[in-house]
Amino acid sequence: MKNTKRFLALFLALMMIFVVACGPKQEADKKEPEKVEEKTDVKEEPKEDKKEDAKEETSGDKPFEGKTLKIAGLDGGYGTEGWKKVISAFEELTGAKIEATFEKNIAEVIRPQIQAGNSPDIIYMAIGGEGGITETMIKEQSVEDITDVFDKVPLGEDKPVKDKIVPGFLDTNNTNPYSDGKTYLAPLFYTPCGLFYDKAKFADGGYELPTTFDEFFELGEKAKADGTALFTYPTAGYFDSFVPALMNEVGGPDFFNKAMSFDVESWKGEQATEMFNLVGKIAPYLQEDTVSNTNIKDGFKNNQQAVIDGKALFIPNGFWLPEEMKETTPEGFEWGFMALPAVKEGGDRYAFTFFEQCFIPKDAKEKDLAKEFVAFLYSDVAVKAFFENGGAVQPVKGAEEMITDPGNKEIYSIYADGAKAAMGGFVAAPPVEGVDMKAALYETINSVMSGAKNCRRMASRSCRSSGKNICRITVIH
Amino acid sequence: MRSKRKRRFIIACLLPAFVLFTVFMVYPTISIFMMSLYKWGGLSANKSFVGLNNFKILFKDANFIKSFQNSIFLIVVVTLVTMTLAIFFAAVLTREKVKGQNFFRIIFYIPNILSVSVIASIFSAIYEPQRGLLNGLFRLFRPDTWTNIQFTGNQKLVVYSIAFALIWQAIGYYMVMYMSSMAQIPNHIYEASGIDGAGRFRQFIDITLPLSWDTVRTTLTFYVISNINISFQLVNIMTQGGPDGASHVFLSYMYNQAYNNSSYGYGLALGVVVFIFSFGLSALINLVTKRDTIQY
Repeated sequence: MKNTKRFLALFLALMMIFVVACGPKQEADKKEPEKVEEKTDVKEEPKEDKKEDAKEETSGDKPFEGKTLKIAGLDGGYGTEGWKKVISAFEELTGAKIEATFEKNIAEVIRPQIQAGNSPDIIYMAIGGEGGITETMIKEQSVEDITDVFDKVPLGEDKPVKDKIVPGFLDTNNTNPYSDGKTYLAPLFYTPCGLFYDKAKFADGGYELPTTFDEFFELGEKAKADGTALFTYPTAGYFDSFVPALMNEVGGPDFFNKAMSFDVESWKGEQATEMFNLVGKIAPYLQEDTVSNTNIKDGFKNNQQAVIDGKALFIPNGFWLPEEMKETTPEGFEWGFMALPAVKEGGDRYAFTFFEQCFIPKDAKEKDLAKEFVAFLYSDVAVKAFFENGGAVQPVKGAEEMITDPGNKEIYSIYADGAKAAMGGFVAAPPVEGVDMKAALYETINSVMSGAKNCRRMASRSCRSSGKNICRITVIH
Repeated sequence: MRSKRKRRFIIACLLPAFVLFTVFMVYPTISIFMMSLYKWGGLSANKSFVGLNNFKILFKDANFIKSFQNSIFLIVVVTLVTMTLAIFFAAVLTREKVKGQNFFRIIFYIPNILSVSVIASIFSAIYEPQRGLLNGLFRLFRPDTWTNIQFTGNQKLVVYSIAFALIWQAIGYYMVMYMSSMAQIPNHIYEASGIDGAGRFRQFIDITLPLSWDTVRTTLTFYVISNINISFQLVNIMTQGGPDGASHVFLSYMYNQAYNNSSYGYGLALGVVVFIFSFGLSALINLVTKRDTIQY
């Protein structure tokens, strides 16, 4: 009796195991062929199409047929529609398959992939982006040299890329971070950055637009008497367009380039002092809530709104500003845009050119295909697709002619109207623990503006930081 | 024979947990300790061994010292204020007959269900200079002469602003914990002490507090750990350490260094210091608050 019970229990247990073990398998068995069928269906159809296309195209050679390119990028202000269009056009031309990942938090998504040695073939993330992936990869020398991309002719065209790109874009510290004459990052989507203002305030009978910094501060006094502040800024980070333009005005491109290469003497010199003093002089004319707003969630919009509400006259920004503030801009409000005032009467006026970058990591698997794709980003098809889907302007000659919106046209014509372009940022230097030159230079401005530090302390902090970077460079090389 | 089998059985039962513990706790901890000895950007294979150099730099780094000060300030102030208020409210809500007791319980507990990013948004709206709740309230009394208090723009104020947000979100959670332990104290003890002439305050000092001391002790460790974590999340979303690094806590500074300054090894060295610090502090608290357990 006992034995039969045991036997029964064992038998039932075995049955259960059997059922559990076989159940899903059977289902899986059923599903798998379906999946496979689906997959083959999907795969075969386009292949056949493509083959037919190829036959029709007569040339018939699709060198990258069957290869897969992985792209990862930021889903930023321009959206991803443009990229999608460009990708499908490229896929059609080459027969390659592109796996694209565009995310708002792309740095978090791809960091583990890169760490695991499985990095995408192309990364579209601008220098200065959250997460510091691009900077880190530059500093770790893990970015592929793509100088030859610019000798390539984009698919379906006859002019090499370097003849299409607006001069200057391939000579910046951002594209050639090691100052070795080679290009490592491809410049994408540019916008002039300057000072935005409310046009109505400067219309007949109102204020006059300042052309020099003396006039700028005079205007500040005048506005103060009327209860308006002269200046505000979205966050201290936006000074990465203001300060470089100012440095160019104060000491010309020579001084700017030396300073961006962490030359301590340049930071200690007269020109740097003049630049720091000018930044410090803004403090009394700053809209009082600016610094607080830079430190709350989405507070940069409050600062931008201050110009719309007439609480501040000028704000440094790029062309996306009017679009960004569209919802809270009253009807009839018109944005004006100008370059920085000149330091001296008759001096040069500069407007910083902000642009984004994409690059090929050194351990990319499909480098040739990736290079072909980067070259294709400058083709007429791509330039048009990027502009029509998101308004991104490629640094390609004639691209700005596509702009029809009068406000944007005015912004992009700033260089044609006499302003000079400043471009680039710090050269790549090995990281120095605890010292971030960008923070030393730009974040300190928050302290200067709130009165916690003066511009002299800001200058000494920048000098010290640049010195440390230089020390490390000399130690390592 | 039997004991051998028994031992095997015990080992077999413990093994999965032990393996998981090793893989997910011990190994990462050790590898963090290891990696803190390298100069490394975190993304490539270019690592160079620098020994304890990262730690040497760390103790000279003024920004790190500032962030450490902020963290300690937050741990001390937030713990003291939260604990006092939570115990007070818990005692009132359990011992006294307050109208709408349950309503208050819910109100106090609500911040705890909110995610940190929501809390950051709420406090951004409270501290906002122009349309913010606080400045708006003050302006009501002096509409013409009021100058906005820069809660997040003033280097000296910003840490207090963060401390306030942390206290607000923590009170409810600890209050509920204290309430549960206070509710278990038998009523007859209070009745007896009442007959002996003890007032409410005396009852609180001599009965409520000693009898819920074990819970208070346990929560102290929670304060340290949750404070370190939540202050990081809050700072990261709200001020990102600004203005000019004035509100960095050590984890936000670690994040900043490891990622934005491409110094991954240095960031991990910072992590090691935080690990040792929080471990040590919890042990210290445990030691200092040790009392004989009083039972009823």
